[in-house]
Amino acid sequence: MSTMDTLMNNEDLVSPGLSACQGCPAELSLRTAFKVLGPKTVLGVPPGCIAGVGVPGWGLKTGMKTPVVMPLLGNSASLMAGVKQAYAKIDPEVHCVVFAGDGATVDSGLQTLSAAAERGENIIYFCYDNEGYMNTGFQKSGTTPHGAHMSTSPFGPYSRGNVGFKKDVPLMLATQDAAYVATLCPSHVQDFVNKVQRATEVKDGLCYLHIMSPCPTGWGVKPDQSIQYARAAVESLYFPLFEYDHGTFTISRPSLRAGKKPRPVSEFIAGQRRFRHLTEEEIQQLQDDVTRKWNLLNKLAS
Amino acid sequence: MLETRDALTGNECAAHAVRLCKVDRVVGYPITPQSSVVEYLAAMVANGEMSGEFISPESEYSVMSILKGAGMMGERVFTATSGQGLAFMYEPYFSMSTARIPMVMAIANREMISPVTVWSGLQDTHSVRDAGWIHLYAESNQEILDSIIQGYMIAEHPDVMIPVHVCYDGFYLSHQSAVVSMPDQEQVDAFLPAPNVRQMLDVNAPCMVDGNTPGDLMMEYREDHLWSMKQALSVIEQADAKFAEVFGRSYGGLLDTYRLEDADEVLVVIGALSGAAKDAVDDARSQGRKVGLIRVRCLRPFPSIQLGELLAGRKAVGVVDKSVNFGWSSGIVYQEVLGALGKARLNVPTLSAVGGLGGADIRKDHVARVIDLVHECAQHDKSLEDTVWLRPDMLQD
Ligand code: SF4
Repeated sequence: MSTMDTLMNNEDLVSPGLSACQGCPAELSLRTAFKVLGPKTVLGVPPGCIAGVGVPGWGLKTGMKTPVVMPLLGNSASLMAGVKQAYAKIDPEVHCVVFAGDGATVDSGLQTLSAAAERGENIIYFCYDNEGYMNTGFQKSGTTPHGAHMSTSPFGPYSRGNVGFKKDVPLMLATQDAAYVATLCPSHVQDFVNKVQRATEVKDGLCYLHIMSPCPTGWGVKPDQSIQYARAAVESLYFPLFEYDHGTFTISRPSLRAGKKPRPVSEFIAGQRRFRHLTEEEIQQLQDDVTRKWNLLNKLAS
Repeated sequence: MLETRDALTGNECAAHAVRLCKVDRVVGYPITPQSSVVEYLAAMVANGEMSGEFISPESEYSVMSILKGAGMMGERVFTATSGQGLAFMYEPYFSMSTARIPMVMAIANREMISPVTVWSGLQDTHSVRDAGWIHLYAESNQEILDSIIQGYMIAEHPDVMIPVHVCYDGFYLSHQSAVVSMPDQEQVDAFLPAPNVRQMLDVNAPCMVDGNTPGDLMMEYREDHLWSMKQALSVIEQADAKFAEVFGRSYGGLLDTYRLEDADEVLVVIGALSGAAKDAVDDARSQGRKVGLIRVRCLRPFPSIQLGELLAGRKAVGVVDKSVNFGWSSGIVYQEVLGALGKARLNVPTLSAVGGLGGADIRKDHVARVIDLVHECAQHDKSLEDTVWLRPDMLQD
């Protein structure tokens, strides 16, 4: 089925309308992913924006046409592994899926995620990365970029913003031999759909899909700009799209194209409130980090 | 077939009980003094002696999380832990009882850090007495085995649906061997039917589990949990009585008593220290003193009414604890006993004794000292204000 057919013909399994902030692409990603995953899917959504805005359900109401469970902040990979192990005995075709933010994934959930990959648990784990704890008020997380002004890493006379550097969990999981790892971006839907499709076919281990998810509210940009920023993240190589499939790295087509003539990272950060205090030097440092990561990825994929 | 007899450690007894209960999934992480429970189970699965599956994740936090996932799917699940492992799993542990998933967990009790210790003490489970689980405490290796089998019957009872932990003193029971009767599989099958637990996550009947819940609905859930805790009091007694019919062994249900009938002065204890305590009671009895003993087998739900009835008309009560209640500067079971006395409007003099922390020994002579102090309370009709510390040096004078 073509991407168009998948999106047009498959049932929308997520409650209609938009309960997240205007322009939030995280809910769009969930909706798109479920068009591919289909109704034989169990979803785990830990605390975070998607759980907090009530998309998966509230009180006695379910927001999805599939079963949903809300794990704890840090235990989604383990909990859904338990569900999958038990479901495998009843119906091995049922997908057990996590849809978690970056805080629940790369911070408090990293230990359980890494261990689930090590044990080869056959779950599909999505991380929507908005680069901070947005649901609780835009605090810094392990994927917040260096220098970003967040509510727990504020810029001020004695601070240059976030002291940490964005943690690269897709590469971390690829190098520990998860079965399938991919990076996805809502600006590149065909690539997005293909990668979810591939994840549904993998039966021998953990699939990790890391989605760049610009957050208009937390990044301080307009709701109608979120996909533009998503596109800029890919085209500046700030967020390269790649796949790691059973030992082989491949750079995905949109990023190969972008790599030929990348936009400067300054175009990606322009207009974002969290970066507006950055000096020329600090922007250059960010650019150098992006180039270094891109070169590393090219070596891995060569 | 009849039961066979074997010399086994407490940890081996726990593992055999799990095998006999035909548990679907064991998830295990090592921690002293429990480790050999999950080692035995891993070996039983590897050798084909047990049909379930064994998973070995990276921490107790994941142990309880995987169990919750599988438990929500209706599987019969098990793990064992101790001390720090229990503390580390606290978050999913609390959500296991409040999601009403009826598992059994063995706890080889261990003192809590700081400072560092790996030895015995009941502080670990006593500190989580109000996290919604049922607490059974064993006195012997045989009782560990039998209580785990009873535990699944209690947990899975439709009026209960609350997880059970079977607690036993680390090292004293976990590592020491005693002769036990090993139930036959057919007998256990007849006693314990296959679990009939709902599969909560079903793609053919989608619903949300553990969703964001408003307060009025949360109140309903808690009220129902407390109602089930109350039902558990009689279910625990029934399970013990039914077990006695099939296997000929009983543990008193909620409260085990020893030489209590005509006793004026009563000791209340919990766990394996009852061995030394019963010997001390025998010595006192041989001197013509009317001393008896109550062993709390079930700490949660707390059998306050039953305990109040047993304590009515006594002249003094002493409670020996292997944990501390930091807020009341006493033992933990002591406060429970005070609650039961208050509820029954009994004005009986009491004392709190604390010993056995971090593996310290509670000897028969310690308990004899406590019996003397209880006698003083009775004579003066007055409670002892300060907690009695069962130290080695108290035996020197
Ligand atoms: S805070 Fe950001 S990520 Fe969260 S719902 Fe709003 S736009 Fe989406």
